[in-house]
Amino acid sequence: MFARLRHFLDRNREAADLREEMRLHVELRARQLEQHGISAEEARSMAQRQFGNASMVEDHSREAWGFGSWERLGQDVRLAARSLRKTPGFTAIAVLTLGLGLGMNTAVFTVVDAVMLRALPYPEPGRLVSLWEEVKREKPDDMSSHGSQLGSAGRSGRTTVSQANLVDYRNRTKSFSRLAAFSLTPKNLTGVGTPERIAGETVDWPFFSVLGVAPVPGRDFLPEDDRFGADPVVIVTHEFWLRHLGADPQALAQSLNLDGSTYRIIGVLPPAFRSPTQLTIPDEIAFYVPSAASPKLLASHGDHEVNVVGRLRPGVTLQAAQNDLKLVSSALARQYPGSNRNVSAAIAPLADDLVSGVRQSLWVLLGATALIVLITCVNVANLLLVRATARRHETSVRFALGASRLRIARQFLAESLLLALAGCAAGILLGRLLMKVLLALAPKTIPLIATVTMDWRVFAVAAAIATLTGVAFGLAPAWQAAQTKASEALKTAARNTGGRSQVRWRAVLTATEVALSLVLLVGAGLLLKSFVLLMGVDLGFQPERVLAMNVNLPKLRYPTPESRLMFYQQLEERVRALPGVQSVAYANRMPLRGGWGGDVETDLAPESGPDVDLQAVSPGYFETLGIPLMRGRGFTPADRNGAPPVAVVNQTFARQCFPNTDPLGHRVRHGTGAPWMTVVGVVNDIRRSGKDGQIRPQVYLSAAQTGYPVALADFAVRTASDPRQLVKGVQAQVWSLDKDQPVTAVHTFEEIVTAAAAERRFQTTLLATFATVALGLAVIGLFGVLSYSVSQRTGELGIRLALGARPRAILGLVLRQAGGLIGTGVALGLAAALALTRYLQSLLFGIQRTDWTAYAAAVGLLAAISMLAALVPARRGSKLDPMAALREE
Amino acid sequence: MLILKTLARSGPLHGFEIAESIRKTTEDILQVEEGSLYPALQRMLIKAWIVGEWGKTEENRRARYYRLTPEGHQQLARELARYGRVAGAIARILQTA
Repeated sequence: MFARLRHFLDRNREAADLREEMRLHVELRARQLEQHGISAEEARSMAQRQFGNASMVEDHSREAWGFGSWERLGQDVRLAARSLRKTPGFTAIAVLTLGLGLGMNTAVFTVVDAVMLRALPYPEPGRLVSLWEEVKREKPDDMSSHGSQLGSAGRSGRTTVSQANLVDYRNRTKSFSRLAAFSLTPKNLTGVGTPERIAGETVDWPFFSVLGVAPVPGRDFLPEDDRFGADPVVIVTHEFWLRHLGADPQALAQSLNLDGSTYRIIGVLPPAFRSPTQLTIPDEIAFYVPSAASPKLLASHGDHEVNVVGRLRPGVTLQAAQNDLKLVSSALARQYPGSNRNVSAAIAPLADDLVSGVRQSLWVLLGATALIVLITCVNVANLLLVRATARRHETSVRFALGASRLRIARQFLAESLLLALAGCAAGILLGRLLMKVLLALAPKTIPLIATVTMDWRVFAVAAAIATLTGVAFGLAPAWQAAQTKASEALKTAARNTGGRSQVRWRAVLTATEVALSLVLLVGAGLLLKSFVLLMGVDLGFQPERVLAMNVNLPKLRYPTPESRLMFYQQLEERVRALPGVQSVAYANRMPLRGGWGGDVETDLAPESGPDVDLQAVSPGYFETLGIPLMRGRGFTPADRNGAPPVAVVNQTFARQCFPNTDPLGHRVRHGTGAPWMTVVGVVNDIRRSGKDGQIRPQVYLSAAQTGYPVALADFAVRTASDPRQLVKGVQAQVWSLDKDQPVTAVHTFEEIVTAAAAERRFQTTLLATFATVALGLAVIGLFGVLSYSVSQRTGELGIRLALGARPRAILGLVLRQAGGLIGTGVALGLAAALALTRYLQSLLFGIQRTDWTAYAAAVGLLAAISMLAALVPARRGSKLDPMAALREE
Repeated sequence: MLILKTLARSGPLHGFEIAESIRKTTEDILQVEEGSLYPALQRMLIKAWIVGEWGKTEENRRARYYRLTPEGHQQLARELARYGRVAGAIARILQTA
């Protein structure tokens, strides 16, 4: 091999050597003949004859080295480059089209790669699982669940895990090397600059060892740190250490003041560590503290509060671990029927669980860009066919001169591959740009979206797709060219019309393009209609001009519900005095900002309480949010501790729990131990979890009757004009009451509503953009084919006109051709769309995937725009001057 | 085989000498187009059965002299053995006829 390589590098010298050798041979032979008395001239020609064809020998010798094919490839590529340079217009269009298709694909693939394909940033991520609990339809009595849920939060029946159950899952199974709970717990940081609310997590002590990381300076949590009543310790992130502690190496000796307690810093995490929570939310998590669960919590099996991550023992399968858990779950159900009946633990690979919410939509987007790549391929194939037809003369001359079919086909393939390569380069450049746009548009709630970068894998995939497309769109023209018959082509060369089969090919390609873009248009239509329907959904309240914010009072400074209530009452009074404020409200949570739920008993059916949304609200709540009162009254300042407990319910609750009776005067309570509350009012239904949420039965409690288990945390202001202008004023009032109290999550309700629809808006925008590009490409394709066809038929059309055909008839002729193409494409596309929209079903809102209006709109738009594109060449055909057309012949 | 045998017998030779040698030894019975010698030589170079070195002829002309490598000797032995078997087989068929 080495000898070969050296030979290849020295091939020119080697060829000269060989020639010299052969010349010597012939000369010596001639000399020998001369010595036998033959004339010099005669001798040389005899010697030549005896030697044979020198250049053939040379070729054969060279081919013996096996580099012939490489050299021919080089020739093919050079020739291809030259012929592409000769037609810069064609080349530019082809490269740009390809670049557009590949660029979109690359950009979307980059996101898909980062979000779904890349391994999680932990050692041996395949063994990491996420654990949650599932509750069968019929709920146990003793259960309330709050706290953040990871990944596919809100899936019906799925809930966070109870710390008490977790102890059993940990001790009674053998499948896991470790299981650790974690839950998001923001705390107020004071003592370092302005008071700030920073996000952190409470975790079980083995949390970091489950994930396979260890604090670099300092130590990990120990079991002792995780005991109830242990000295508070904290591990901070590298980033927090850099920013807040000035990268002080002595930081380990320091303490942090969180929610009024002092936490000793025991460790700093390695740079760029991310908790699984952070893979799904954009917030920075700055610190970790041990859960140190209280004995009360550890005895409460119905309290589902935490997320759980675990690491499987080596060699244990998911199924085995699941079976293991099932045994424990049923044992717990027997042991604690009150809380654990119908509750079972379930696990899934952590990686799958994190992305389960966006998987569908990302695959749909990737599929859509794959369709775009297909369309660009078809488009370029079409262009190449036209070009091949124009080069028929050249091809047939080469045939006549003895080129092999293979060689001609290779030549055409070389051109398409070169185009594909250029397209790929353009695609990667464009892809980088599109990716930035994509990331700017993407909602921050997509897991791992912050980690999106282009790496070699993306380039590799782009290059692979480009090569594949190069072959795909090059095959048809190459096949066509190889089929050319030298004699026939030379005969027709002067007129340059494509053969019948070529015309058919182009028609097939154009129809395909129309079909593919129809699929995208239908998809975009369905999503658009879903979005419009969604936007039209009535929230049940008026989000305009309302500012909401979070004022989370730390338990240490405000230990009792009464002290927190007093803070809010004072704040309400001060803020109401600000100019521009119409009304003020506070509650545990505002709509679309999370909440509290549980079972409620009524005096009609004390045993079987329905699962409802619960909320503790201030007297101004209904007025501030614009929730209409339907019957009875709202809350007043008189509904305070000491006064008879009261509740307000929504219409759905009234219908469900008090059918055929007046709910006013009836009594309800949340949980068996809670006081009975008299229903004093009925308000309009609202969609608490957003426009695509369900309307659920709702019970409102008076915030001033402090028997509820949640803390007041949200504050809202309805203003006369732009609510943004009040942010500073409200903040100042908070700080005048408590200079260490941070104000966070300040948003207008309109922003909140918009953000809730962000993911859907993102999908819809992208798919609509893709469909528009597809439509554009299809129209260009159709336009090209028809223009070409008209210019090819100049003679024929000229004769028709000369024989008295009216321009209208010619117009009809061309349009009929276009209609045929579009019709075929539409028929194919409708069939494909019906089949493919199956994957879209879960992304739709309020309509079925077979919604005929979306299909009709897509077909109508496509047909109208493509007929418009057809009109231009058709008019050109009908406006031909017969004399000129015939002369051209 | 012929080329290898010739080189084995006479040591380094250049192309013309190989052709002449074969012609003379076979007394003109085996005469091929002399040019075909060269692709054959190139193939043997690739297989490293022979090596070529540039030298001068008696008339002081530049010429490439080929000689056998150890692999070339082995190959020759293999080919001679195979030839022997085939020739023997043919001979036996002819004898029985």
